[in-house]
Amino acid sequence: MDIVGRGVVVFLFLYLLMRMMGRRELSSLEPFDLILLIILGDAVQQGLTQDDYSLTGAILAVGTIGALQIATSYANFKFPRLRTFLDGEPIVVVQDGKPVEKNVKRERLTIDDLAEAARREGIPKLDDVAWAVMETSGQISFIKKSDA
Amino acid sequence: MSRSSCGDGEPSPVADTPDRIVLKRHRDLDGRKHHIWYRRGLVGLLCAFLLLGAVNVFGQRPAGHTVNTPVASLELYAPSKVRGGLMFEARFTITAHRDLKNALLQLSPGWAEGMQINTISPSPLGESSRNGDFLFTLGHIPAGQKYRLFLQFQVVPTNVGRRHADVTLYDGAKKLVHIDREVTVYP
Repeated sequence: MDIVGRGVVVFLFLYLLMRMMGRRELSSLEPFDLILLIILGDAVQQGLTQDDYSLTGAILAVGTIGALQIATSYANFKFPRLRTFLDGEPIVVVQDGKPVEKNVKRERLTIDDLAEAARREGIPKLDDVAWAVMETSGQISFIKKSDA
Repeated sequence: MSRSSCGDGEPSPVADTPDRIVLKRHRDLDGRKHHIWYRRGLVGLLCAFLLLGAVNVFGQRPAGHTVNTPVASLELYAPSKVRGGLMFEARFTITAHRDLKNALLQLSPGWAEGMQINTISPSPLGESSRNGDFLFTLGHIPAGQKYRLFLQFQVVPTNVGRRHADVTLYDGAKKLVHIDREVTVYP
């Protein structure tokens, strides 16, 4: 019972934390981010199962988090109004080759970040971009101009 | 789907707005400008929580508590807020101002409820129970001498809540000093 309760609290906290951190941090997985993820996992595990080394405890902890993830996913699918809260919404960051300044600032992106993301998609210049949309996952989708 | 156009009526080379992207909402942030404040509010709450942790609201920095009487003084140095799984120490210092023939230290059950007592040093002369409390027999403490007793604990992770953790010093049947305190265990 205790592990299930801890699992619920940890899941809700991590969910809020991920939403708080913003999309930019979610999308990148630089070496340092990877290290942070490992540390995060270790810190969470200790709070979740503490000194419980049992198989039952592990199944309860993982099962709780899995069930909550399924519930969140179902709520996201079933109730569109919840989607804004649970997943956020896409945001246009470039239109017609020009960064949408206020949105770029809001997502803590720099022009260099945009240019780098565009290069990864094989787009050498932002001028060639018709639309760039930061998706809820934090990835940036680029749509090239038709003549580019 | 919308298409922007140039002033001369020629269609712009800019592609149509991507499907399911509504410029008012996803570019101009219509109806979601305040969302950023939710995020900032949550970050603020998180920072406040971390700040509370830094200033010892959730333990487990030890604090001293001393009670003096003409016969003896008792100093307790222990944290009053602890968290599940953590180890901590309680130090009891008894200073005898007059000769204590048979010093007894009585601890309320909250000291051991959901706690592991790892060590007691030095070992008391006797351990017993008095009306549900722990009673440690320390024996004779000459006037002007100190007696230090160390108890090492570990908090059982499922032990959450607040409990009385009083300490009373006796000389035989005579009550000398009492410290009224509580211990709070955070999950």
